[in-house]
Amino acid sequence: MSLGLALVATLIVALAAGWFGYVRASRLRTTSRLHSLPFYHGAYATLWAAIPALLILALWAPVQSRLVDQAVLSSPEGRALPQFEMQRESILSEGREIANGEREQGFNPQSSTLAPRIRAEESRFSLFGGVAAIMAALVAAGFALRRTAPQFRARTGVERWVMIVLFAASLIAILTTLGIFLSLMFESLRFFRLYPVQSFAFGLEWSPQTAIRADQAGSSGAFGSLPLLWGTFFIGAIIAMVVAVPLGLMSAIYLTQYAHPRVRSWLKPILEILAGVPTVVYGYFAALTVAPVVRDFGLSLGIGSASSESALAAGSVMGVMIIPFVSSMADDSIAAVPQAMRDGSLAMGATKSETIRKVLLPAALPGVMGGILLAVSRAIGETMIVVMAAGLAANLTANPFASVTTVTTQIVFLLTGEQEFDSPKTLAAFALGLSLFLITLLLNLIALHIVRRYREQYE
Amino acid sequence: MSSGVPSRWNDAASLKRVRRRYAAERRFRAVGLAAVALSVAFLAFLLFNMASKGLGGFTHYEAALPIDFAKSSLFIDPAALNGPDAEQTVASADLTDTLSSAATAAYGQAAADMFGDAAMHRLTKTILANPSVLNGRTTLWLPVSSKVDVAAKGDADAASEKLVSALEQRHALRRTVNMDFLTESDATDPSSVGVWGALKGSFFTILVTIALAFPVGMLAAVYLEEFASKNRWTDLIEVSINNLAAVPSIIFGLLGLAVFLDFMNLPRSAPLVGGLTLALMTFPVIVIAGRNAIKSVPPSIRDAALGVGASRMQVTFHHVLPLALPGILTGTIIGVARALGETAPLLMIGMRAFVAAPPGGITDPATVLPVQIFLWSDEVDRGFVEKTSAAIIVLLLFMLLMNGLAIYLRNRFERRW
Repeated sequence: MSLGLALVATLIVALAAGWFGYVRASRLRTTSRLHSLPFYHGAYATLWAAIPALLILALWAPVQSRLVDQAVLSSPEGRALPQFEMQRESILSEGREIANGEREQGFNPQSSTLAPRIRAEESRFSLFGGVAAIMAALVAAGFALRRTAPQFRARTGVERWVMIVLFAASLIAILTTLGIFLSLMFESLRFFRLYPVQSFAFGLEWSPQTAIRADQAGSSGAFGSLPLLWGTFFIGAIIAMVVAVPLGLMSAIYLTQYAHPRVRSWLKPILEILAGVPTVVYGYFAALTVAPVVRDFGLSLGIGSASSESALAAGSVMGVMIIPFVSSMADDSIAAVPQAMRDGSLAMGATKSETIRKVLLPAALPGVMGGILLAVSRAIGETMIVVMAAGLAANLTANPFASVTTVTTQIVFLLTGEQEFDSPKTLAAFALGLSLFLITLLLNLIALHIVRRYREQYE
Repeated sequence: MSSGVPSRWNDAASLKRVRRRYAAERRFRAVGLAAVALSVAFLAFLLFNMASKGLGGFTHYEAALPIDFAKSSLFIDPAALNGPDAEQTVASADLTDTLSSAATAAYGQAAADMFGDAAMHRLTKTILANPSVLNGRTTLWLPVSSKVDVAAKGDADAASEKLVSALEQRHALRRTVNMDFLTESDATDPSSVGVWGALKGSFFTILVTIALAFPVGMLAAVYLEEFASKNRWTDLIEVSINNLAAVPSIIFGLLGLAVFLDFMNLPRSAPLVGGLTLALMTFPVIVIAGRNAIKSVPPSIRDAALGVGASRMQVTFHHVLPLALPGILTGTIIGVARALGETAPLLMIGMRAFVAAPPGGITDPATVLPVQIFLWSDEVDRGFVEKTSAAIIVLLLFMLLMNGLAIYLRNRFERRW
């Protein structure tokens, strides 16, 4: 029995229990007055039968795959596998694919002999989990159905279950955050066991390639993250913001203060399309159309190092992508400035632009700053534009025509090359992910704090 | 304005100052307009650029090719064509050689590799549909190879250029709608690639995303807005939701790689894992939109329902939620549209593999449209540039459609209480 089958069986048990509950309560209704409608009696039985059993299945699935692996490895076929972990893993995954019928044969002959064993262990353990889930469903359904009685408060019981489901749904946010943090932390710690933290944090050289070939000089690889952080900062926080902040801010000012409401109702959604365009499209555009123009421009200025994968090309396109983001944040904070302040300034005889520059913008500044910080955090985490338009060479340069690389580019590069797990090269991607996560978390917290505190001032 | 000296509003200095201030006002306004215009112009340029590059990808050139099957070296047993293995039989026949020799016979040595995989597919289909062509001599219109196609569309090397003009002189070249682009999947030859496999993969992935993110996001929003008491715990939930909405998407890819692939051993490159990863990314957006929608339902609705004896749960699910649903749906569409265009997290979970067959379910290896675009953009073959832009047009149409739907819903159901 596979777990999918057990899932279907559980759901059938739950629906049947619901139907029984409903019918029983309907029958009771003809003789006496019920506290809850028959529907609630049915729902009560369904929820009792379904939720604990589904929980068992959900928890069992990952445990089962662990147990199967262990059982296979300790079987005679498993002990014959090579001790080297990477090789063993690849044979195991091939065997798994054969067992699932995804492929006929593996590259490694051993995987074919392993497949029947994997299939046997899988069916053994899934029988175990499936039977447990179905038993749980039956027992719980019986328990719930026994309580069907005129005075039984089924609705309260149902509502308690719904409440638990609601609470669980909101817990997923915390679980996701925790999952991100723990998985990044766990893999990063493994990386830091192979490569010292301080060299990662303060190293000036990044060359993950050398780490593959153990026989070569510098085989330990150089994983100094500073050039990447600089590249990320240079593209996302400097070049992109030079484009996005003036354009976004002035757009917001024009649309909120000057534009006719009808014009505004057209232009605002059009600007929002800029944020809705998939980043892979921007990346393609940056790499194919913008980058050659930027390179030619750089060469015509006499900059010999002008590269076809320049920081300027990636950064400026990213800036355009961020414009609607900055403009809507600025829009919000300008709108939050009390009307009385604007009216006061205009009544003193100031022109509209003087009011905006001397009254509205200073008052809205904290909100605008918060918005810009959020925009920076988004630009730093943006992947596809820099993967397609920025380079792979780690450079500590302030020349916008040169090629620089970013944290996200390197993560993609490290994890989509030839996969070899447990090498410092792949683990380094998680360490980079952790630093990216921490940096954006910090920026977001500061920005949210500024925005929130500022909003409360006028309320 | 210096003190002591009385100044009048209409003396020369004041008037000059006022003129200057008005000029500054006009300049400021012009700068604002310019900023908006520049942003819109950039969008227009981007769309125009993609359209002009990609529209050609929806058409392709076909050349007339007279083939004398009776005299060619091609041998296909007519009896086998009625059997169940017909496709296998045709596929194993040497069609490439037949095409090549027919092309050289008709158009000279330069035309030897004028036909590629796409022509072979077409020929296979023709033979299967009508085996009687094998008995004699026919003229078929077959799609030309990518190289000739690019040349016919206007820029390529001299040799192909010459071949194209020769073909045109004999009226043996025509431009037709490239149906293969919509019905085929990924391939190595740009003349026979299509977006169907990627579209199907995107569909399955988004299906998983919606099935998970929408109910969970909606329920979480209901809990936080209607039931949660304000305490440290809900503060923590709130902070993590706001933060998740701003976490870089690639981090979700790392999470998916570490948890779904390495820990749970779910299948690599499958829409199931892609959908799970994107659902985690989308659901904070839905929660935030849902909370705003629920918040905007006036308290009088709740009070009225409570007043006639409904429980709090009934108030929420029978009265508040239906009123808030349009707002939640709008947020969901926007979040899903973003997920539909997402590439980076899917690269992390291995959805960058070459997948030539459209997926049949959520556990089959698949690719999605944005990833397909990314993969094609890496190809050096000239023919892929056009196909990439054409795929981008398809993707952008979907985005515009979804965003348009969201705006329509917002305008249609927006209610002021």
